[in-house]
Parts: sequence; structure tokens; C-alpha cells
Amino acid sequence: MSDELRVMMLTWEFPPRIIGGISPHVYYLSKSLAKNGVKVYVVTCDFPGAPSHETVDGVEVYRVDSYKNPSPDFASWVYLMNMNMQKEAASIVRELGGVDIFHAHDWLVANAGIGLKHVFRRPLLATIHSTEYGRRNGIHSDYEKMIHETEAWLTYEAWKVICCSNYMVSHVKWVFGLPEDKLIMIPNGVDAKEYEKSDTDLNQFRRLFALPEEKIVLFVGRLVYEKGIHVLINAVPKVLEKVNAKFVIVGNGYMQQSLSEHIRNMGLTHKVMFTGFVDDRTLRNLQKCADVSVVPSLFEPFGIVALEAMAAKSPVVVSDTGGLSEIVEHEVTGIKVYPNNPDSLAWGITRVLLDENLANKLKENAYRKVVEMFNWEKISQQTKTVYESVLSEYSKTFWA
Amino acid sequence: MRVIIFSWEYPPRVVGKLADYVKKLAVHLARNKIETHVVTYHDYMTGEFEENGVKTYRVTNPVKTHISVLTWVLTLNQEVERAAANIYYRAGGFIDVIDVQDWHFIPAAVTLKKAFGIPFVYSIESLEDHRSHGANSPFNMAIKSIEWLGMYEAGKILVKSEWMASEAVRIYRVPEAKIKVAKPESERWLRTVLETYKSLKEAHRSV
Repeated sequence: MSDELRVMMLTWEFPPRIIGGISPHVYYLSKSLAKNGVKVYVVTCDFPGAPSHETVDGVEVYRVDSYKNPSPDFASWVYLMNMNMQKEAASIVRELGGVDIFHAHDWLVANAGIGLKHVFRRPLLATIHSTEYGRRNGIHSDYEKMIHETEAWLTYEAWKVICCSNYMVSHVKWVFGLPEDKLIMIPNGVDAKEYEKSDTDLNQFRRLFALPEEKIVLFVGRLVYEKGIHVLINAVPKVLEKVNAKFVIVGNGYMQQSLSEHIRNMGLTHKVMFTGFVDDRTLRNLQKCADVSVVPSLFEPFGIVALEAMAAKSPVVVSDTGGLSEIVEHEVTGIKVYPNNPDSLAWGITRVLLDENLANKLKENAYRKVVEMFNWEKISQQTKTVYESVLSEYSKTFWA
Repeated sequence: MRVIIFSWEYPPRVVGKLADYVKKLAVHLARNKIETHVVTYHDYMTGEFEENGVKTYRVTNPVKTHISVLTWVLTLNQEVERAAANIYYRAGGFIDVIDVQDWHFIPAAVTLKKAFGIPFVYSIESLEDHRSHGANSPFNMAIKSIEWLGMYEAGKILVKSEWMASEAVRIYRVPEAKIKVAKPESERWLRTVLETYKSLKEAHRSV
């Protein structure tokens, strides 16, 4: 082992390729680890216009040609992408003369991580961001079962499994039957500094989305069932009975069309705005403008959008489930409501919008908690400690 | 010389005629004082054995539920890599040649080539274009793309007939010089296979 700890991160998304939460997670984690003296090599899928190798904030990023094999379905694409990723990663490791640890994020890179572990005889760490069981609320087909078993295989092969919340630790432990001491909780983080930059006149910006007399209720997330967007849409008329508000919905997803139709049928088209996917800067400005940020998820392993809203000093209303339950303390750092319950959600939203003192108190407390608990400096330090303890265990094995 | 053969079928697991051919090849190699390892699949009879002088290493699929032979193959490759890596490290880090029989374990052979510089021979029993009668659905094309990867990354390609050599050239535009014909029924069969292995071994050692 050289003096400098060398980690190869495997991830199917890394900026500018952003599909879900793994991309920003791996970006901030890698960048903070690099600041903490860890040499990080990220191997990820390619993206139009992004170079195949570059150094980003001290992190070496390699992008693999991932769309050259025809694929009958998404899972087959994932496995074929892993074939290519593993091939490229093997060349990189050989050129580097070895790395100390492989760190894989979700089943999407399971094959590559497991293969590299055995070929180079180096420990594998896995971060499980989400499970097929959780995403689908059970396993209902061979396709889902195959993904579920691939996730189980990854956790089996991993030296340690990292989850971002206590909820996910217990979920993953139960769903894959893992021993307690294999699991480690390290929270997700948010870079609060990103929200301090102000290069936009927010009053002017706000007018693009709402009338001056309207409060902004913000939802950020994929428009899919598990995110509970339909619960929010059903809460819209209940909120409007008490407060004049504009609902701004950021994100794409298969539910968009049916939701739009539902809103049209209620005659509330002028009160709900779908922005689609927006760039980072617009998103941060929206979060800063929001009078309340809502996270009505039915299943949420962590709930990074709640954390972002807290960093943006927007009061949050979240459903009391999964990771959200741990991030938010009711009536202290936000308001918790019953999941899948439009009445409860409407109550939470109006409670924040009608009581300015409460809203101010919530956002001050929330901001303080984010800076203290969920900062990347601390998270990368915890991650580095895990790497070091795994390597010390590894040094006593016959592989070392 | 130390050789590892990758094959998805090997007796007692017999799917088609490849199993018996690979057994004949492995036994003949062993008789010619080649240290011969066979890494293959079996549902449950896993582990290492020595059979007729051949060292066999059987692995099973860590993912049991699958939607196609394609996904089945792609999760099995990591176990093939694990077995091959165990042989490699035990042998002090030297394998002369890997001989991949058909497309199934090409991903593993390519990874081992990239990781350790071990050259491989791609031995063709059959091609997807013939098996699927020219079908070009994404499923068939995915398998063809793996065959293409094997053709591209292999040091040499071994075929059993002149006809298959011309098919490899026709379908995958492989340079003819890369292909060697070793007819299993001919007297020169084993000598051709051995010469092919040796040519790769020498190229590998001279690097």
C-alpha cells in the first residue's frame, strides 16, 4: 500500500450525467475525499460532450463508452455497460499499478465492482442508495427479482455496506439478511455554501414563477409514484381554501401527463406550474424563493431534496417516512405529516404558510442542523475512516 | 505451458457438442504436458477437481433468477473471473494463454487480458448469426456485439472449418491472418492448436 490511499469509485452517473441522487453524491464525496488526502479515481458512463478522462476538483474521472452494445431492456444494458466498465477499469488499474479499494454505488455497477475485487484481490465497499424492493414496494416479476438478487450479490461480496440513513440500514439488513456489523450508516450531505452565492435578483426571479401575492410551494423530484407527487396534487385545493399559493413542480416522470389532466379537471391549471428538469442554478434559486418545500414521498431512502431545501433556508414539510423521518425533527427543523395523506399534507403546508414566526424558526434550526450534521467534510472524514479500518482488516488476510 | 480453457459446457454438463470437444481438447493438452485448467459452469457441482490430468474449476451463477441467457451469462462472468484469478495468483501470476470457447465468457477473458496482459484465443464452435438464422433483434445484436468484442480483442481465432473461417471474415470483417483452422478430425488438429497457443505465448513473453 502506498502512502496515499487510492480509491476507485464506480458509478453509473457523475456530472454532467445526472439521472438521480447518485451523481451529486459521488461528486461531492469524491471531491471532499480528495481534499482529505485520498486519491480518487471515478469510473463512470460517458456523456455527450464530456471528455473520456479529466481531472475535476482533484478527482480523476474516466468515462466509459456505455452505449455501444444493443440492449433488449434496461437491465441487460446495465450488465453490458458493466462489461465495458470493468474492461476499462482493469486497464486503468493496471496502468496505475493498483488501487487500494473499490467502492461501488448501487447494483448498477455491481458486476464491475465484484469482478475487479476478485481480479485485483482488493476489498470492495458498496453504498446502497436504494433497493429494488423499496422502489417497487415488493418484488413482482423475474425482472425485478433478478435486480434484487444482483443487489444481494453486491452486498454479499462487499466488505462493508454503507447506507445513508438508519432507516436504510434496517431496510437493507432485513431485505438481504445481512449481519448487523456489516452495515455502516454515513449520512448524505449537502454543500450549504452553494446556496450562499447570490448572483440573481431573487425578487425578479420569483416573478417568473408566481404572482407577488402568491406563496410558492415547491416540489422537486422525479414525477413517479414513490415520490408521492399525486398526494401533493390532491392537497392543492385543500391548501388553496386557506392560502393563496402557487405550486411549482420541478422534475420529469411518467406521471406528468395524468397529473396535468387531473389538475385541468380540477380547474387549477393557473395554480400549478410544471417546469420540467431545470439546471442547478435555477433549482437553487427556486429553493431559496420557496415559502415552503414539500417532500411527500411514500418511499425515501434518504431525502436529499429536504436537505437542500434546509440549506437554502426554505422551511420543509415532509412525509414521516424513511430517511426523511431522521432528517426532520417535527416542529423543530420542519413539519412532518402522515405519508400518502393529502389532508395531513395540506395541514402541514398551511401551518407553515400561515405562521411566519414558525416558518422562520424552522428554517433557522434546519440550516444550523444541515451545517453541523450533513456537511461533506464530516462525511468524507467518516468514509475515509471506513476505508482505513477495512484496509487494516484486509492487511491480515491471505489476499494482502 | 499453462493454459486455462473457458467453456460454458463441460461433462457432465452437456448442452450441445461443445462439451465433448472441450473435454477431448483438455485431455489431449494434459497428455502433452500442458498444465490445463478448465473453468466451467455447473448448477451445483461446484469446486475444483482433477479429471484425467485436467484441473477443472466449476462455478455457479450467483444470481439465480434471469430474464434471458444474455443476463444469465453476464452475471456468471464474474465467477469465471474469480476462478481464473485464483488459478493465476496460485500459479505465481503466470498464465500463458486463455482459450475461450464461444461467446459466453468473452467478457471475463477481455477483463483478464486488460488486468494481467494474458492473451486469449477465441475458439468458435458456432456464431449467433447462424444460431438465430440472421435475426437482428436487440437481444441477438447484444450477443453479436460480445462476439465482435471477442474477435477484436483475441490474439488469435480458432475455427474448425474453412467455412467458419470465411463466415468470421464475412460477418465480423476479421483479418484472415488472425484466424487459424484446426479441424478436430484431422491429424494436424492438436498441433495447430498448440502452435496457436505458442504463438500468443511468445508474443506475450516478448512484451
